[in-house]
Amino acid sequence: MLDIKDLHATIEGENKEILKGISLTVRPGEVHAIMGPNGSGKSTLAYVLAGRDGYEVTSGSVTLDGEDLLEQEPEERAAAGLFLAMQYPVEIPGVSNMYFLRQAMNSVRKARGEAEITAAAFMKLVRERAAFLQVGDELLKRDVNRGFSGGEKKRNEILQLAMLEPKIAILDETDSGLDIDALRIVADGVNRMRSPDRGFLIITHYQRLLDYIVPDHVHVLAKGRIQTSGDRSLALELEKNGYGGVLGAEFAEAAA
Amino acid sequence: MSSVARNRTAEPVPAFTEAFERLRGDAAGSSGKAFEQRRAAFERFHALGVPTPRVETWKYTNAASFVNKPFALAPRISSEASQVIPHFAGGPKARRLIMVNGRIVPQLSHVGGLPAGMVVQPLAQVLAETPEIVDRASVNDEPEHSFEALNRALTEDGAWISLDDGVALDEPLQIISLLTNADHAFMAHPRHSIRLGKDARLHVIMTTVTVGPGESLLNQVETIDVADGANLTIDRTSQQGEGRSSIIRSRYVLGNRSRLQQSTVALGGSLQRHEMEVRLRGTHSEAILNGLMMPLGTEHVDTLIRMHHEMPDCESDQFYKTVADQRGHAVFAGKIFVHKDAQRTNSYQKNASLLLSDDAEIDAKPELEIYADDVKCSHGATCGDLDPASLFYLRSRGLDEALARSMLTFAFTGEVFERIQDKSVAHVARKMILDRLPGGERLADLG
Repeated sequence: MLDIKDLHATIEGENKEILKGISLTVRPGEVHAIMGPNGSGKSTLAYVLAGRDGYEVTSGSVTLDGEDLLEQEPEERAAAGLFLAMQYPVEIPGVSNMYFLRQAMNSVRKARGEAEITAAAFMKLVRERAAFLQVGDELLKRDVNRGFSGGEKKRNEILQLAMLEPKIAILDETDSGLDIDALRIVADGVNRMRSPDRGFLIITHYQRLLDYIVPDHVHVLAKGRIQTSGDRSLALELEKNGYGGVLGAEFAEAAA
Repeated sequence: MSSVARNRTAEPVPAFTEAFERLRGDAAGSSGKAFEQRRAAFERFHALGVPTPRVETWKYTNAASFVNKPFALAPRISSEASQVIPHFAGGPKARRLIMVNGRIVPQLSHVGGLPAGMVVQPLAQVLAETPEIVDRASVNDEPEHSFEALNRALTEDGAWISLDDGVALDEPLQIISLLTNADHAFMAHPRHSIRLGKDARLHVIMTTVTVGPGESLLNQVETIDVADGANLTIDRTSQQGEGRSSIIRSRYVLGNRSRLQQSTVALGGSLQRHEMEVRLRGTHSEAILNGLMMPLGTEHVDTLIRMHHEMPDCESDQFYKTVADQRGHAVFAGKIFVHKDAQRTNSYQKNASLLLSDDAEIDAKPELEIYADDVKCSHGATCGDLDPASLFYLRSRGLDEALARSMLTFAFTGEVFERIQDKSVAHVARKMILDRLPGGERLADLG
């Protein structure tokens, strides 16, 4: 499904390579976790996959079901079935959350040549999906992310994921800034969206989230490369021994 | 005299003199002493001259463009109710004064059932019956302003609104000012006088619209007196077509513990300028001015504010947003004067701008002039493009770039129309904004 082959990327206008040859395949139904210390290139990978401006892919390829993603605009990638839950969701004053969700759904449907969802069908769906993320009507009616707490923003990201039903969902540090209850709600929401047709790429610094969303594969990204891969036990080993302990002293994070 | 002469550039076209002569004996208040006052004002207009760009307050807006066309007096035609009704705002109980080409049309107006002690009349009627009371308002001193002098010379009508002490009108009073289409350039010089007695309360909705194609000049003057404890809210919208120019000059005087809150959304037209002079002349009074400018094409919009804190313990807040696209040009010049007695003044000014095209221009000129030592004043002007992170966020959710840009632009304007007091006016303002955005119709059910 999602095939990343020898991906190299720099920040636009700078020579410094951030991604130095990443290869990774996510098949339908799989959950992959990418862990790594700060500055390893995790967020860059997420942004490059979603098509954010400001990065330059210098070599390599990314395809989704065989289609080249790197040539596409962010909205085309969304229509193709890629979703990125962001670390810092943006506030949009004057645009209600409910309206935004519907506009996003219909934009994606339109790009796929599907009919727009009716207001009634949308309402039914949004209420149902919002309920399992504990997003109440009040939050749906508020402006997108405006005045939302950190936890509310992250739940709202997962609600968007649930509404857009992507083929591949990337979660960029969705656990950051969440307390344990919020983490559990978010993880439950993600787990409900797991399906044999959908892949997940979960980017996280800590293994805590992976106690709730159990990955099939764990990769450790450091210095722009996947240094090692394994199953869930790799995450637990990282928790115990740190990046330095698993990868070698040169990868150790500076003590806070 | 030499300083006056230096400030003159373009001679006003002869059309003004012709118009002045034609009004004689014809318009209300154009005979006897009233006419002499008009003549004095007209001479004053000529003596003051048309300001050049060297005059500080006219640096970015070409005053000559107001006087370089053969504007004739506005055609004396009425409008169909069907042209006016779509612009009704303020709910079914609102009173309405309809003005077409600068003249009140009583048949279309509805100002019945006013509380005792409140008068709403056409200015023409007051000029005809009791001209001596017109110039009695405290804000009417000798005009030091060319276009105000011109207005005084050529005015035919306007709204005369007066509330005695303690009188409150619960529903809004809407003034709809409609400028018709015409096959020749024309001008209108309406003059509004609004006086709130002590503890009076009024909510005015001012709706200015132009109908169809045509060239026109609207030169409007408003003198507004808000006495001690009185409360005035004004919601303004202005929608003008290409070839339309307007200059509106609003002069406010506020007494002790009084309050003024105004919101303005002025869109379209070739040239729109709104000058506001607010004098906080009592203690503990408050003035709030909000507005949105949004020039597109080759439109030019100009907001000039002079906020005078003359007495202690007053508060003022100016909050303006600007969106300039294509070759649009917006000017915001806001000045806060804190006079030497005005201790414990709180005065704020914020002007945030979005510059969406390389050919658009925004000139922001915030100024403070402070003569008291115990004051809190702030001013801030920001100018930028849409936030790339926000654009990416929307596009990553499937919205195409044009729609994402329109949505963020709309969101930027939201803070202004949220401050409009009347819901129906806010709704109109919202639609006006959406109509200017590419793909705006797709954002229509945004709420």
